[in-house]
Amino acid sequence: MRTLLAALVLAAASSSALAAEGTLVLYTSQPNTDAQQTADAFMAKYPDVTVEWVRDGTPRIMAKLSAEIEAGQPQADVLLIADIVTMEGLKADGRLLAFPEAEIEGIDEALVDADRTYFPTKLITTGIVYNTNAPMVPTSWLDLTKPEAANMIAMPSPLTSGAAMIHTVTLTGNLDNGWDFYSALAENGAQASGGNGDVLQAVSGGDKLYGMIVDFMPIREKAKGAPVEFVFPTEGVSAVTEPVAILSTTQNPEAAKAFVNFLLSEEGQSLAVQQGYIPARADAGLPEGYPDRSTINVLPYDAAAALADDAANKERFSELMGQ
Amino acid sequence: MWNTLDTAFFGAVIALLIGGPFAFAVAMTDMPTRRSLGFLLLLPLIIAPQVTALSWLHMTGPSSTLLNMLGIAPAPGTPNPILGRQGIILLFGVQHAPIVFITLRAGLVGLPGDLIEAARASGATPLRAFYTIVLPLMRPWIAAAGALAFVSGIGNFGIPALLGLPVNYLTLPTLIYRQMSSFGPGVLPQMASLSVLIGVLALLGILAQSFAMRGRTTRYGQGRAARISLGQWRYPAAGLAWLLLTVVLLMPALALLTTSLVPAFGVPLTLQTMTLANFEEVLLRQASTIRAFQNSAMLAGAAALILAAVALPIAIVLERFSTPSRRILQGIAELPYALPGIVLAIACILLFLRPLPLIGSLYATAWIILIAYLMRFLTLAMKPVANAVTRIPLEFDEAAATCGASPLRRVVTITAPLAAPAAAAAALLVFMSAFNELTVSALLWSSRNETLGVVLFSLQEAGLGPQAAAIAVATVVVVVALLAVLDRLATRLPQGVLPWR
Repeated sequence: MRTLLAALVLAAASSSALAAEGTLVLYTSQPNTDAQQTADAFMAKYPDVTVEWVRDGTPRIMAKLSAEIEAGQPQADVLLIADIVTMEGLKADGRLLAFPEAEIEGIDEALVDADRTYFPTKLITTGIVYNTNAPMVPTSWLDLTKPEAANMIAMPSPLTSGAAMIHTVTLTGNLDNGWDFYSALAENGAQASGGNGDVLQAVSGGDKLYGMIVDFMPIREKAKGAPVEFVFPTEGVSAVTEPVAILSTTQNPEAAKAFVNFLLSEEGQSLAVQQGYIPARADAGLPEGYPDRSTINVLPYDAAAALADDAANKERFSELMGQ
Repeated sequence: MWNTLDTAFFGAVIALLIGGPFAFAVAMTDMPTRRSLGFLLLLPLIIAPQVTALSWLHMTGPSSTLLNMLGIAPAPGTPNPILGRQGIILLFGVQHAPIVFITLRAGLVGLPGDLIEAARASGATPLRAFYTIVLPLMRPWIAAAGALAFVSGIGNFGIPALLGLPVNYLTLPTLIYRQMSSFGPGVLPQMASLSVLIGVLALLGILAQSFAMRGRTTRYGQGRAARISLGQWRYPAAGLAWLLLTVVLLMPALALLTTSLVPAFGVPLTLQTMTLANFEEVLLRQASTIRAFQNSAMLAGAAALILAAVALPIAIVLERFSTPSRRILQGIAELPYALPGIVLAIACILLFLRPLPLIGSLYATAWIILIAYLMRFLTLAMKPVANAVTRIPLEFDEAAATCGASPLRRVVTITAPLAAPAAAAAALLVFMSAFNELTVSALLWSSRNETLGVVLFSLQEAGLGPQAAAIAVATVVVVVALLAVLDRLATRLPQGVLPWR
């Protein structure tokens, strides 16, 4: 009997240390190619896990998830989305699993949730993109309100993109009379619609010449030969950390934890660098085409206020931008 | 609301302008190559609206690889002319021209030639004969065709999604999609009322169509089919028709192909930049697109098989019914097809979101998509099969009955084999329509259940235009291959199953 018990205890102990296996469903707002590369790299390391991912803009992925929760069958195990404000909302609803033993060595403590429910994986800043055929080279946010840029600006909508929501909150909070800046943009014929991908295609395709956009897209496309340049404006940029979190309803916590640790590990972080992102770990280096980390001026924003005013901000933005 | 009516109305006008002359030329003149022209004009019907939209988008913008190669692209900084209202109207016209073409041709083929000959004998010019005889007789058909094109425009999602959403030009279906996808099921009540509004608009269009067709009972003797000789105008007319088709079909298709070959959007296509990387990515590397190909093939295949299988018994039963009740039943089967897909999708969510006894909640499963497809395409499968069943001579059945065969045996040994080719054609038609479906899937998809339409849309939104183009090219290839199969089958099918024969 004793031996049986001991065997059982041993079995239980070893099973918790067992390698992750089974299926892992990832909901992400990364572009499709990056999501696939991330999944492939993880599966190469954990061959017993199959990662299935779904991609959409952060607000839409969240809408999908809440519909599934409503139907009583949330599909996702892991979320990898743009911003911590959305994560804070989920945490408040008890939807996230705390993961205190996550391997966060080397990651800036300030960016990690104190309750260890979500973890930063990258630093994605939003700046200005311009088409190389454009007559003006913008250096400041205010340049977008100049007559040279009239009717030639594209920007992502907070209704589609999580990064765009944080960007709006950051700029309105840091520029003098921030909302006035947005009114000036609207008067200058700026078109706010869709997500960052739409902005990229509008500017690289030449439908528009200037845009607000997340940094990695134009920097990556420029390397492929697209006629675009990215600018870090003088006032500073907004940033999101693209946090990853495990849902409390996960069917596969082992694989989910392995996935989170993988993203935070040196290997996962250097993959992010290869994909053209600024990694969350300062020691993982920087992709081609970025200025030195210390020169990037990231503007602060109040996450708690952003969460509380989320609906109001979206409303105000839609009204201003004529959506 | 206003946008919806506006685009649908003018789209219908353009569809009439494109489809009308084509129908006339193919059905009533001796224009050379008219048959192949008719076949080509039907392509937009079978290729998904979002693919059409994508290809035009790539054809007309400042970075159009095609126009840049020719050096006539719009200047950088000018918006793509196809985005927004005009583009949507133009593409509605192109997309729905085949509907007009099919409807009008059916009417024209039934026109008695003797009337025209009589007019000609009395000294009327061909033009005059056309104005005084053909047009008045065709009026109900023209009205019906216009109404059909209008209804299709009301419910179309793919075109306004790709051409309207990026510039905030919303129609009712895209408004519903945007609210649903950004705010989740919380907005269902409002969206349901909006979709009822679309449904009402569409039904008004359908009513207008049946009202127009009522005038069809004008009695005229059935003579030989009419032919008007174009004389020396034959070749110019054919040339003009080919030119038009080149502009609306072949050029966008080329644009799509060139975009799918560049490494990044905005890069000019040269021999150095040409790459197959996008095809590699979507066909070999991307799990979601590979899965989408499988899902779409499975879902479309299942829908095609199930519908072909049930269409036959339904057709046989329907044939036994009296005419009035048959009409009503047919109307019920046609309703989901006539209703815009977005309305059907909302209805399905409302039906299946709450867990049902025995099966649980179907939301976020592949079943909900399959059910929606079955509802939507039932009438598509019914038409050719019912057509075939009504053409089987009753004598066969009676002869078998005299020899003592039971009703079931008669169905299995006589009706079914004779209607089988039609059922196969029905299955292929359903498959092609479902394979590229976006409207229903856009609201019903979930992880692991992505369909091709959804993936294409998602790639485009993520800024991966060239990859979206690669998927579109791949789907077009699949559909055209199926069409060729269908065309091969045509010799074994009853007349009138395939609209281009």
